[in-house]
Formats: sequence, structure tokens, C-alpha cells
Amino acid sequence: MTGRVVLGLVVLGVAAAPLLGHQYYTTLMLPFFGYSLAVLGLNLLFGYTGLLSFGGALFVALGAYTAAYLTSVFGVLAFEGIVLAAAVVGFLVAIPVGLLCVRYVRIYFGMLTLAFGMLFYSFLFKFYHLTGGDEGLRVLRPRLFGLAFESLDKVQFLTGPFYYYSLALMVVGTAVMWRIARSPFGLCLRSIRENPGKAEYVGVSVRRYRFYAFLIAGVFGAVGGTLLAVPTGLADPLLAYWPHSGTLVFMMLLGGFSNFFGPILGAFVFIFLQDQVMSLTQYWRFVFGLILAIVVIFVPRGLMGFLDPRQRAGV
Amino acid sequence: MATTRRQFLELVGGAAALATARLDTAPAFAQATPVRMGVLTIKSGIGAQVGEAGLRSAQWTTDRINKAGGILGRKLELVVEEESTPKDTVERFRKLALQNKVDVITGVISTGVSLAIGPVAEELKMLWISWDGTTQKGVEETMPNPRYSFRSTDNECEAVMASIVVAKNWKGKFRTVAGINPDYSYGRDNWQAFLWIMEKYGNPVTPVSDLWPKLGTTDFTAHVAALQQAKPDLIFSSHWAGDASVLMKQAHAAGLVGNTKFVFVVAGGVHETLKKSFTPEGMFLGYNTIYFDYADASPLQKQFVKEYNDRYKEWPVFECERAYLVTSAYKAAVEKAAKAIGGKWPTTDQVIDALEGLELESLGGKARYRKDHIPECNFYGGFTTYKNRFDFVTIDPVVKMTGPEVQKPSGVGLKDWIQSWKV
Amino acid sequence: MVAAGLQLVFGVQKIVNLACGSFYALGAYFGVTVVTRALAAGLPPPLFLVVLIAGGLALAAIGPIVERVLRPVYDRDESFQIILTFALVLMFEDITRFIWGSSPYQMGNVYLVYGQWKIGRLTVPVYNLIVIAAGGLIALGMGFVLSRTRFGRIVRATAENREMSEALGVDMRRIYARVFTLGTALGTVGGALVIPATAVTLDVAVEVIVEAFAVVVISGLGSMRGTFVGALLVGVLKAVAIAAYPELELLVIYVIVIAVLVLRPAGLFARAAA
Repeated sequence: MTGRVVLGLVVLGVAAAPLLGHQYYTTLMLPFFGYSLAVLGLNLLFGYTGLLSFGGALFVALGAYTAAYLTSVFGVLAFEGIVLAAAVVGFLVAIPVGLLCVRYVRIYFGMLTLAFGMLFYSFLFKFYHLTGGDEGLRVLRPRLFGLAFESLDKVQFLTGPFYYYSLALMVVGTAVMWRIARSPFGLCLRSIRENPGKAEYVGVSVRRYRFYAFLIAGVFGAVGGTLLAVPTGLADPLLAYWPHSGTLVFMMLLGGFSNFFGPILGAFVFIFLQDQVMSLTQYWRFVFGLILAIVVIFVPRGLMGFLDPRQRAGV
Repeated sequence: MATTRRQFLELVGGAAALATARLDTAPAFAQATPVRMGVLTIKSGIGAQVGEAGLRSAQWTTDRINKAGGILGRKLELVVEEESTPKDTVERFRKLALQNKVDVITGVISTGVSLAIGPVAEELKMLWISWDGTTQKGVEETMPNPRYSFRSTDNECEAVMASIVVAKNWKGKFRTVAGINPDYSYGRDNWQAFLWIMEKYGNPVTPVSDLWPKLGTTDFTAHVAALQQAKPDLIFSSHWAGDASVLMKQAHAAGLVGNTKFVFVVAGGVHETLKKSFTPEGMFLGYNTIYFDYADASPLQKQFVKEYNDRYKEWPVFECERAYLVTSAYKAAVEKAAKAIGGKWPTTDQVIDALEGLELESLGGKARYRKDHIPECNFYGGFTTYKNRFDFVTIDPVVKMTGPEVQKPSGVGLKDWIQSWKV
Repeated sequence: MVAAGLQLVFGVQKIVNLACGSFYALGAYFGVTVVTRALAAGLPPPLFLVVLIAGGLALAAIGPIVERVLRPVYDRDESFQIILTFALVLMFEDITRFIWGSSPYQMGNVYLVYGQWKIGRLTVPVYNLIVIAAGGLIALGMGFVLSRTRFGRIVRATAENREMSEALGVDMRRIYARVFTLGTALGTVGGALVIPATAVTLDVAVEVIVEAFAVVVISGLGSMRGTFVGALLVGVLKAVAIAAYPELELLVIYVIVIAVLVLRPAGLFARAAA
């Protein structure tokens, strides 16, 4: 019970953050909301199903480009519509990609997802008449519930209405993922991770469940992508480049893949750490590489592993 | 699970509190406080070389300004952040504006990034003077009437210059051409400009091959083979980084050099790596807005080139000129605006008004900011020679063209502008 | 070459080493430095190849160090291994930047020391042929070592069944360290060999990884024989794409990779039970 109380308090705390008046840090929370969703999706694949995707960026970029297309090409500014469209696009793309990918596990799965991500990157780059090429596509300021908030400038919009909208979306997304993870479906996924052969034996269709998990991850990635795209104002091909997928995996591991909230914590810590370290030193990649190496070698369960004594003991 | 969740939440809450509780630095505009200039520059990957050169130059300019008493008595201070992907750079830009509360932001080299930054500068009402970021699309669609963003010269200026010089000097000496340009908007704009200008000059050419290697390609073997097959009279390239010298080297090794004419519109950015051993004499080499060994250079340029070489053992590239122009333009604009209002420190809007139409001396000679926030600079290029004291090629004689000669005027499309020429 | 190193390490240790691209970059940077120094010290230019290879081999000394870092994750899911080597890629990029700066590096005038060959209309630098021959030789040499020597037999046995070879008294640690060092050497020597013809920049590591992966996937994970053929295939297909339809240059590799993974996940040249 205390857990729920604290959960509520934290959501309240995050909700109150813009009131502190630190506009920059408030804007930094926006990519956090977006990444949280994307990494939660990724973790459904890895933490629950045991499939490490190196193509997470593919879906994030899909979401961002959906937002860009709808706002600047078709003039659709309703953010509800954009999120819905991104979810649909993410879902539709995840069907063929997922069908091909989930036939494989382990390293083959990782490489196939990487290849699809890079294929999309090349597509964005090459078909510049459609995608804007290296210049990307503008993402215009959306309307929320039909309201344009014209009296607010963009920063006020981002730290005001859009902040709460994103927060709400993230809370809803997290709640949905929580339900999924706790459902019989989620349990099946975990049984697949632990022992696919056994899972198959007791009647779990391994491939089909992996496929479903892939679809869900795709939708979460795409929705996360729309949340990322609005503050940036641009969808660009680098969102689909493979190191960006690496970043998503980094967040997941940093927070801890074996805990439901790990990805969210990871996204949060990563963003604020990057903010600080990038300002401190130009060799921030080295620092991040080091952190990642330490996490992988010494704390494979991530920051959450630190927090939970039972997990630290290896339970 | 309760424990886990609670502790997680505590951590998040704690971190959030920590992150947001940092105190802002007080932005008091007293005479004694330094003026803070944000700088966004590339530090990783293929663009890191020009990014670093620009930063060195910005630092040199800042030191020079401070030695001469700063800007209206206030010291100038640089706050450097990294330019990387558009998304991350937008965040860094916001940090400089909202958190560090700098007075002006400069820098940005990549096209894609500058397209993302422009609108953000407008939203934040933050004066941003770009070093090098610009594109066609940037001019015509994305930022039709920028107020707070000052961009760089148009993409294809150096290609326009190269094409004019080539069309005049080699008239009738080539018919088939091949383009090998980096695969992004910059390369495409340059190639297009070249073809239009050839047509305009009554020098009809037949493109026999157009290749689009990725920017930063280090293996051109297959491209060179394709060029060998196509056997063009002239090869036009706008690779500007380390890839330009690799291309030259591999083309040379494959025996392409000799009968073929080469036009490298902007390889002056890596002039030192174009060694005599594999770069032919008599090819066209563009240097963009500064030529380091220009005999008629201003004392300012000569001093800069000397000190730069003494310190870094390298010869400055175009990004140095860009960074100097931007840094000193800010100073000049502040002083011009202050003069108009009786010596007080001007507001951002007053600085912007002063920047529009501002004329100043940059490293490459006279420069000026047009009303539409695009600078006009001199461009340098010429045909290569071995007659110098270096182990790499230089140009002789040096051709200099002014901004209005190579850059389309405000509000006119590139094609229309080229067709309006009288040749 | 990089692909061969990747293959070897994967085949035996079942580790996917993203850092192979970094080894390649390091080899190239280091190669420029040693050759430039050696030439300045009066080395006759035709001997530069020897220095280059020696430099590449010397650099392989970082292999055991990196291997030591990777050791803790041998028993874990290979996902962790990929991620750990990804961390190494990040670190190595900054290390090279710290040592060699951000300017592109290239070697002086040694590329054409061995002359050029004219084959019909084409002119080919002899050096390119040397590199190709070196690649072939290395593939053959590796094949020989793996199939004919005692060391090779142990390595193969280890790859087949680790527990069994351990039970038979094979010192796993030493074998792993050696194999990994060999893999590193392939990467560093590869980078060093290519550098006279090109230049090395900071993002080479990231670029090379993707191509090496393409080669490895196409030829089949762990198959040494396939690697050389796979590398040639990727090169040829790219050349064809560039000549026939340059716009597709970027796409073509990934399409092939996906096709191969989907149709023959074990690779074109692997035996069925790979």
C-alpha cells in the first residue's frame, strides 16, 4: 500500500515540477516522458520476453515522422489524432517486421531488428522528396483537445499544457503496460524468457506471444516518438540511426530491465546525466561508455537492482 | 514489490528535486558582468574537424575582443555546448537560452540541425547567429521571415563560383560531366547549380554519371570504377571533409587523373590533405570564404593565419572565417545599437536591428549582413599549382568573388536568378 | 579483415564484438603514426608495409586487456556482450579523439610505391591487389591454423563444446585470451592495411561495424571460409549498385542482410546445422 501512496506522490511531484519555474529542466522532462514509453515497450521485449531489439529507434522515428507528416503535410494538428495515427502506423509496420523477426531469437533477432532500423534510416535519407532527407520534416505545434493555446509561446506551451498532456499519456501508457505485464499474457511472456521449450510444452505458442510483444513494443515506441518530436519540432533521419537504438537499450539497462519501473528510471537518469556530463566535458561519450560497461559488468540489474535488496541477493 | 516501488519513487523524486533545485546564475546586466555567448559546435564524427576549427577561431576572436576592452567594457565569455543530432542540439540550445541565460547563441554547422534550431530560436526569442548552417529549404520554406535567426551564406555559393570560373576558363573544352557529391541536400544543391550554370553559359554538358556517396565515405573504389566506365571530361565534386582527399587519392591511383578535369568546389576545407603526390595541377579548388595563403589578404587575416598556424600547426579552414564573422558581428552590432541609444546596453531587438545591414571586416575581407539575415562574404578559389612551399597543392592565381556575385538576392529562386544573368 | 576478426571471436567465444570497428579505426590511426615516424626516421618507402603490419600487430596488445573486461559476461546472455562492446565503441571513439584529434588522418606518399597495373582500360594500384591478396592469405592461414594445428583443434573443440574441453584440461582463459587477441589483431592489421589508400576519421568505427556485420551475416556467423567470399560479395554488389543505380547505394546492403537473415539465417555458406 505504501508503494501506491508514494507512486501517487511522485506523479504529483512530477506534475508540480513546472511550478518550480525552471523552464529548461521542465522541457527536459518532455523527452523523458517519450523515452519512458519507448523503453517500456523495449523492455516488454527484453525484460519479459528475452528478445533484445536493436531496432527500437525504428519505431521512435516512425512516430516522429508520423507527427511530422500529419502536421506539416496534411495539416492535421489534433494531437489525439497524431498519437492514434502513430500507434496505428507503429502497429502496421510492426506486423511484417515482427513476423520476420520473431522467428529468430538471440543474436539473430538483434541483428535483424538492427538491419530493419538501418533500412528505414536509409529510406528516410534517400527518398528525400518524401521525407525531407537529411533535413528532416518539421513537426508543427499541435492542438490538444482542439485547443491551440495561442496566447502561450512555445516554451510556455511545452512546459504548460503539453507537459501535462505528455505526463498523462505516459501515466496511462505505464498503467497499460503494468496491466499487460501482470496479465496472464505477461506471465506467458516471462515463461518464454525463462524457458521457451517448456513454455511451448505447456501450451504457450511461443512465436505468437513474441509477435504480440513485438507489436506492443512497436506501438509504445511510435507513441513515444510523437512525444519526442513535438518539443524538438523536427523529425530527422538520425532518430532511426542505430546508435539511437543503442541509447534506448542503454536507458533500459541503466534503470534495470528486470524491474517494471526500471526503464522509466533509466530514461530519467540518462537524460539528466547526459545533460550534466555533456556540459562538463567534451569526452562525455567516454564517460557514458564507462558507465554502461560498469552497469553491464557489475550491476546487470541496473539502478533498480541497487534499490531492491531481494534482487541484489539474486532472487 | 512495495519496497521496490517506494524506493524507486524516492529516487525519482529526489533526483527531480535535485535537478530542479539548482540555482540559476543571476543575469544582472551590470557593466562588470561578462557578456555570455553560447557556442554550439560539432565535436564528433566527420564534422568534428571543421567544428573544432570554428571553435578555435571563436576563442581567438573572443580573446582579441577582450584584449581590446571587451564589448562596451564588458568581457565576452563563451559557453560551449556540443552540436550533435537535431533533437539533442535543440535541447542544448534550450539549455543555453533558458538555463545558462546567455545573451546570444552562435555556432551550428549542420544543415539538418540548423533547420531544427531556427524555429526554436524564434520561439525562445533568442538571438542566434549561425556559423554555417543553411539550405535552400531553410531560406524559402521553413523560415520565410526570421527575426531572431541569422543564417549563413546560401548552400551553393561556392558551387556557383566554381561553375562560373570553370565555364569561362574551360569553355568548349569539356562536354561530358560526372558529379560525385555527398548524399544530402548540400551536395544536391551544388550539383543542380552547376548544371544550370553550364546551360546558362552556353556550355551544354551531358551528365554521364551522378554518384551520391554518403558524406564521410572512406572507400571510393566502386565510385571510381564507375567514373572510369563513364569516362567524363570533367568531374564535379562537393565533398568537403576528409572524404575529398580520399576521393582524389583513389581517383589518382586508378589513373583517372590526367585527361579528366576536376572541380572540387569546397575541398579548401581540407586543403592540407590534398597532397601534391596525388592531386593534379590545374584542377579547380574552391576555398569558400577564406584563402589562407592569399597574398593580398588584410593585416587582420595575416595575423590570424600566423597565430593560428603557430599555435595549432595547421592552416585555417573556412569555418574559422565563419566563426570570426559571427563573433565580431555580434560585437559590432551591440556597439552600433548602443551608439544609437546613447551608450546604454541595447536590448536583443535593438541588436537585431543593428545587425540588419551591418557591414564589417571579416577574415576574408568585407562582409555584410543583409536585411533578410543572410551574410554576404567574399569567396575564394582557383586552379591548383605545385609552386609553393608546402607538400599540398595551393591555388594561383587566386580568384576572389564578392557575395552578390555568387549568392542569389533576397526572395529570388536560384534558377530564376541564374537565368537572369547577362553573360 | 574486420569481418574475419569478428567471425573468429564469435565463432569460438560466441561473443559479438561491436568493438571490432574501433579496433579497425585504432589500427588505422596507429598505422599512420608509425609509418610516418618510420619514414621520417629514414625508412625506405617500399618497406612501409612491414612497419604497417608490425604496427597493427603491436596494437593487438590491447586485445587481452579488452578481453579481460569482457570476461565477466561470458556466461551471460549474449545481449549483454553486445551492449558491453557497444560501451567500448563509445569509449574508443573518445580515446582516439583524445590522442589523434578530430582531423582526418592519412598517410603520406606510400600508396603508389608499388606502382600501378594496367588491365585493359582499367588501372589498378598494385597496393590494392596486395591488400586483397593479404585478405585471401589471412583467410587461408586462419583456415590452416584452425584445421591443422594443435591450437586450432583446441579452439574448434572449445567452440563445439566448452564444458567438454574444459573437462579435458583445456585452460579456457588462455584459449579465450588468445583467440580474442587474434581477432583484435585481424581488426587492427586490417585497419592499418587499408589506411594508405584512404584516410581515417572519427566516425569510421561506427561505419565499419555496420559493413562488417553485413559481411558476417551474409557469410554466416562463425564461418571463416564464408567471410572472405561474403566480403567480396558485399563489395561486388555495392559496386554493381553504384554503377547501375547509384541512388540505391545505401539501401542495398540492408536489403541483402535482411534477405539473407530471413531466408538463410545461418548464412549463405554455413552448413545447415551451424
